[in-house]
Amino acid sequence: MRIDKTQRGWAIASVAILVVFTAVYVAYAVHAPEGPRGDSALGLAFGVIGFGFMMFAALLGARKRVPVWRIGRAQAWMRGHLWLGLLSLPAILFHGGFRFGGTLTSVLMWLLIVTVASGVFGAALQHYVPRVMTADVKLETIYDEIGSVRKLLREEADRAVESVCGPLGIGKSVTEEVLRAGGLTAARAMGVTSSGTVVAAAAETVVLSEEECAPLRKFYLGEMRPFLEEPKRRRARVGNAEKALGVFSGLRTLMPSSAQPTLQDLEDICDEARQLVRQEQLHHLLHGWLLVHIPVSLALILLGAVHAVMAFRY
Amino acid sequence: MAAGTSVFDAARMNGTPIPTLCHLQNETPVGVCRLCVVDTGARVLTASCVRPVEPGMKVVTNSEKVLNARRTLLELLMTDHPTPCARQEQSGDCELETLARAAGITQPRFAKRTVSRGIDDSSLAIAVNHDACILCDRCIRGCNEIKNNFVLGRMGKGYSAGIAFDLNAPMGDSTCISCGECMVSCPTGALTNKTVVGTTITAGPDAQGFEAEELLQLPVFQGVSGTFLELNRGAIVKRRFHEGEIICREGEFGSTAFYILEGKARVSLSAPIAHVKTQGGAKGFVKRLTSTLAARDTDARDEEVRDRTIPIDASVDLAYGNPVAELGPGDLFGEMTCMNFYPRSATVIAESDVVAFEMLRNVLDIMMKNKTFRAEIDQNYRRRALENHLRGVPMFADLSPDFIEHLKESVELQRFAPGQAIARQGDAADSFYLVRIGFVKISETYPGGELVLAYLSRGDYFGEIGLLGGGVRTATCTALDHVEVVRISGDDFRDMVERFPSVREGLEAVAAERSAQNQQRLQTTQSLPIDQFLSQGLMEAQSLLILDLQNCTRCDACVNACADAHDGITRLVREGLRFEQYLVATSCRQCRDPLCMVGCPVGAIRRRNSLEVIIEDWCIGCGLCARNCPYGNINLHPFDVMVEDLERPGRQKAAVKQKATSCDLCTHLKEPSCVYACPHDAAHRVDPRTFFSKMLAGGGKK
Amino acid sequence: MARTRTTKKLAQRVDLNYFKRPTGLKRAKFWLSVGLPALALVWIAWHGFSRDSRVYSSGRMSEAHAVLEAECTACHVQTAGAFSAKASDTACLACHDGPIHHARQISSIGCATCHTEHRGRVNIVATRNESCATCHGDLKTSGGADHFESGIHDFEDGHPQFAALRPNGGAPASDPGTIKVNHAIHMKPIRRGPNGPNVQLVCGDCHQPGAASGAWIYADAQYTAASTSSSPQDEVLPLGKERTQRPRPLTGRELMAPVRFAYACAGCHSLAFDKRFDEGVPHDKPEVVQAFLVKKFSEYIAAHPGEMRVMRDPGRDLTGKPIAPTARVLTQTQWVRERTAEAEDLLWRKTCKQCHTLSYPTRDAGRRIPQSIQPIDESSNIRSTAGGLPEIASAKITLQWMPHARFDHDAHRGFSCVSCHEKAMRSTETSEVLLPGIATCKTCHAPGPGHAESRCFECHTYHDWSKRKEIKPTFILPELRTGGR
Repeated sequence: MRIDKTQRGWAIASVAILVVFTAVYVAYAVHAPEGPRGDSALGLAFGVIGFGFMMFAALLGARKRVPVWRIGRAQAWMRGHLWLGLLSLPAILFHGGFRFGGTLTSVLMWLLIVTVASGVFGAALQHYVPRVMTADVKLETIYDEIGSVRKLLREEADRAVESVCGPLGIGKSVTEEVLRAGGLTAARAMGVTSSGTVVAAAAETVVLSEEECAPLRKFYLGEMRPFLEEPKRRRARVGNAEKALGVFSGLRTLMPSSAQPTLQDLEDICDEARQLVRQEQLHHLLHGWLLVHIPVSLALILLGAVHAVMAFRY
Repeated sequence: MAAGTSVFDAARMNGTPIPTLCHLQNETPVGVCRLCVVDTGARVLTASCVRPVEPGMKVVTNSEKVLNARRTLLELLMTDHPTPCARQEQSGDCELETLARAAGITQPRFAKRTVSRGIDDSSLAIAVNHDACILCDRCIRGCNEIKNNFVLGRMGKGYSAGIAFDLNAPMGDSTCISCGECMVSCPTGALTNKTVVGTTITAGPDAQGFEAEELLQLPVFQGVSGTFLELNRGAIVKRRFHEGEIICREGEFGSTAFYILEGKARVSLSAPIAHVKTQGGAKGFVKRLTSTLAARDTDARDEEVRDRTIPIDASVDLAYGNPVAELGPGDLFGEMTCMNFYPRSATVIAESDVVAFEMLRNVLDIMMKNKTFRAEIDQNYRRRALENHLRGVPMFADLSPDFIEHLKESVELQRFAPGQAIARQGDAADSFYLVRIGFVKISETYPGGELVLAYLSRGDYFGEIGLLGGGVRTATCTALDHVEVVRISGDDFRDMVERFPSVREGLEAVAAERSAQNQQRLQTTQSLPIDQFLSQGLMEAQSLLILDLQNCTRCDACVNACADAHDGITRLVREGLRFEQYLVATSCRQCRDPLCMVGCPVGAIRRRNSLEVIIEDWCIGCGLCARNCPYGNINLHPFDVMVEDLERPGRQKAAVKQKATSCDLCTHLKEPSCVYACPHDAAHRVDPRTFFSKMLAGGGKK
Repeated sequence: MARTRTTKKLAQRVDLNYFKRPTGLKRAKFWLSVGLPALALVWIAWHGFSRDSRVYSSGRMSEAHAVLEAECTACHVQTAGAFSAKASDTACLACHDGPIHHARQISSIGCATCHTEHRGRVNIVATRNESCATCHGDLKTSGGADHFESGIHDFEDGHPQFAALRPNGGAPASDPGTIKVNHAIHMKPIRRGPNGPNVQLVCGDCHQPGAASGAWIYADAQYTAASTSSSPQDEVLPLGKERTQRPRPLTGRELMAPVRFAYACAGCHSLAFDKRFDEGVPHDKPEVVQAFLVKKFSEYIAAHPGEMRVMRDPGRDLTGKPIAPTARVLTQTQWVRERTAEAEDLLWRKTCKQCHTLSYPTRDAGRRIPQSIQPIDESSNIRSTAGGLPEIASAKITLQWMPHARFDHDAHRGFSCVSCHEKAMRSTETSEVLLPGIATCKTCHAPGPGHAESRCFECHTYHDWSKRKEIKPTFILPELRTGGR
């Protein structure tokens, strides 16, 4: 999501609300006997408004669970969440007169600060990271499916190498990707070639001799395949773009010309695997902040409700 | 020696075999290969197969000179020969290679030709490899002299000379009847018998094989080449089915056709005749959206044709209200499945004990070219299905029965091969067509491209615009696969129109509507600059779901929304190719050229004038449309239904039936749910030409 | 063997139900979202079950109530059955009395309005100016317009000049005291002091804080030892009761003690009446003085009978009246009478008048009867003055110039007197009020750092302590500390 000029309306409205809040607060605080308090009429008003904003912000999670209900566009809810959530911080600060108070109220204030700060941080991430991801990961896929795509890449690489070197001795996986003529039908062997993967048909197999393809075999089994299995290994040379370039250039000189297309394919597969690693990193960044934002905000709402009730008691 | 005997024969009779390549006993000798040359003491060596004996001739057959000559010839021929050729591999009897081995030639000294003469894979029965052809002329003589089919001939000159079928058509498209004579005569692997997938039908316990002679006794097999049947023995089988046995099930994939010899069978659809309707609480707060199957009486959609018949792959069509019909002796069903590998369109159950032939494509192909068989099929069609088809055309509904009878007799059944044009835009219009079987593409050409207006299948008709409006075709009609049409001649048509004015009105109304639609579509395409960002086929789309990757946070809200709106099955996948900063998601594109519609065995997928793809109630869930869609936009949605248990009649059992689904633009919710549910303003449903028009107008790629 | 990518191939890599499957991120999100609020709930429940409400406190207690930090129920008394446990005024009044400010105030306000607890370890009495300004910013009293200033916001804004210095009904402010004092003369070097010439008086020689036991340089033993018959009403104006009843005890050094003749004046101002005697008359009422005189003279003449023969004093013949005989022989009584009259004449007309304000009820009161017309009647009593004794106006010394404010001289002991009371150096009139004006106070007492406290509570108090009621003590110590358990 970009904070761009389509958000102008909300931004202006929010600034206006903030200005009004500030004006009201200043006028109140200056004249209040003993200063602003949370339980004076205005203090309560700020508290209720602030909590109302927080509740609306929290409801975004619920809204996302019923995306089809026509209760307002998801976009409007999202913008409301951003701007009203942001406004909840000054509202609560005004409510508490910029004091942190006792144990519960201090905890609440910190929770609110953490929530709003993580939210702002997350909004910034969501502003920048999609662009980075789009630029860096040209071969992006769906994050949840990275595991199975990696497996397909492994199989493709296996086939490519085997077309040149002969059998590698790697057991074929039983769960070959099912041909999905629609995702839910079982595979039907119709005589149509199974083309479920981005694969080149292992057509003309020009198998090299044992000796000729030894470098490729060694490289593949020793470096590339382990990398495709567990890309987070630090030591893999193919995990780094420049090093991979060097490795493959070296291989190109060692292997005969008939293996060159295969080498190119392998290089492309490595590149795709690297991009998937990058995608994982960026995805974790893009979504990881939610692991702070959401639980803290839920705790905030819960304790806020407790505070509201208990403050009336005392 | 009798006068006129060739030297070759004389030598043979004397027990001296002379090697040949182009000479066959039963064919006129031509002397082109020169392998049979002998030294008769003349200035040059003579070809023994054409030279008649003369008295006092002294023939030397294995002098050094002669042997050298033979060896050189063989070596030269072996240079271009694709060793080992198909014949050598299949049966080990490539004559050229045998001779070469005998002469001790292993590695020719000469360079191989650099340009391949190609292979021709179009015939169902015979594989043609021009690289192995030594231009010995045996096949031509066999086809002309022995079988009198006159299909083969020579073409080209010099190094590009070769054999040709008809006027150099691919063999499968030519008038070749696959009798197999050429293949049998060919000395090398240039013409070999094709191993078709599943050539041998697994013979079940009730299957009976039989000898070719037996088959040839049947009237329908008259004229079919015995050799061919011999060679394709495993491709046709006689089966017996007991009463109540299921012969084939709808939706299954198969590769065989059935021809009933004896008995009666019942053909029906067991899929629920209902379409997928998603309904529920988008406005409400409690009900969730569920997808249910709704039939026409509960959920009528506009533009439905009432009482429409369901076209199936048999000689009859099924009525919408009661999709059951009967097949008897002489009925052929499964033709589309057999020829084009489409899924079975209906379920056939034997009502009495049935004896039927099950045959593969190569056999069926031969049969369909056989005149007797064809005649029978024709007659069946006219008798049983043609009237329904005619009446299925809405404007013909009021025709009187005797006119229908007249039409039935006077219509012509025409076959077209895949890719063949039935009518071209701009030609003089003189016929009206009904499609009996196969798929026809109706398209218009305009500067810059081709716009597909419709795909027509069994029971659809075309050609009336030309007849009504000035006699010039306004669109090109092309056969997509093996198509057979019913042609009503122009005279009959005009006659009909005169006698039945209501027909004329109906026709004119339809014609006017179609004209208007076509105009509208043309206008849209002509008013925009057509640019080539076609590499992804984006211009083919009328509506794209694009995800702006600079806004998208990959949160899957769109996918969740689509799934929620469609009972848990998403019709959108967040994967695909990118265009600029947009990801073109996998979701129905409402293509101008809807390939998904080609091949539906029951004609259940069509498009309204809005962009929405409609899947009719009788979708049998075979998944062909899903396969055909080049973008993977169609998925199958399973439903739990109670169906009649075919193995135990009278009882029902639970089954899972599938219906094809694709993005329906959430018309029941007025706005696509994915767009509605995207929190980041990233999902958009756009018309690519309008959306990218600025970029297009700006000129080319950025 | 180039790798190709098409939409269909890409789409078919993907399982259609991927978004329903859990991933690490989704699981983590779920468990954290359950765990953290659960933790918070457990935390709150823990406090709930251990009946510890301190977590709900909105701040630490003030300095005075720090002992109650752990005992919420000391103030937050829960009425039976109700949910609310607000700290009401009743709780405050269980230990404190907070008398109303003024009978004519329009609304009474709760304790917590000004004394806000839970603001940290602060002085809870240190109320903000706004609390006072709530009423005094725009003062409305029941009973109509009043003489109180109505727009006071703080010391800087709207606080009027001190009442003692303000014109009073048209007349300028004046000191009601009747003892004539010219400060300016006293501050100059004095040519004749009690122990020799040239003394330089300083303020502290006459003015000292009340309870001080410092040395009085100019005291006179005769007078300090003597008791007088005057009562405090004759001397000083009374202190307001609110001063005396306030919770904080007075140190006794807040106000200056009234200047007493015996301690400050007697050293220089002698009350000598006759050259036959060294001592002066008692510093007392005229009756006492007269009795003293008579006694003294009577004792003298009894001891010195020869004096009864009074020689003519030629120095006294200058009046031009008939010349008296050269010597007169008087009786004791007559002699005493004459001498007393002479002394009284001196005293009433000169000595006492120097400082006191005397009033003469008759025309002749206090006037000496001339010798020539004195009756020879011995039986007449010693009543030398014909018109009776003068009346001495009560001194009306003001002890407390700002009855509605607290001023503590002891707090300002670091300053020299003249740094605030510089008017005293130049004051010549008794009526001048030598109280420093508000401007003098404002030089130090102003808001902001680098200044002395200037909030209202520094000088004023809301509660009218003159109406203080005693609280019946009801708590026992452990009760307060443990909330009764």
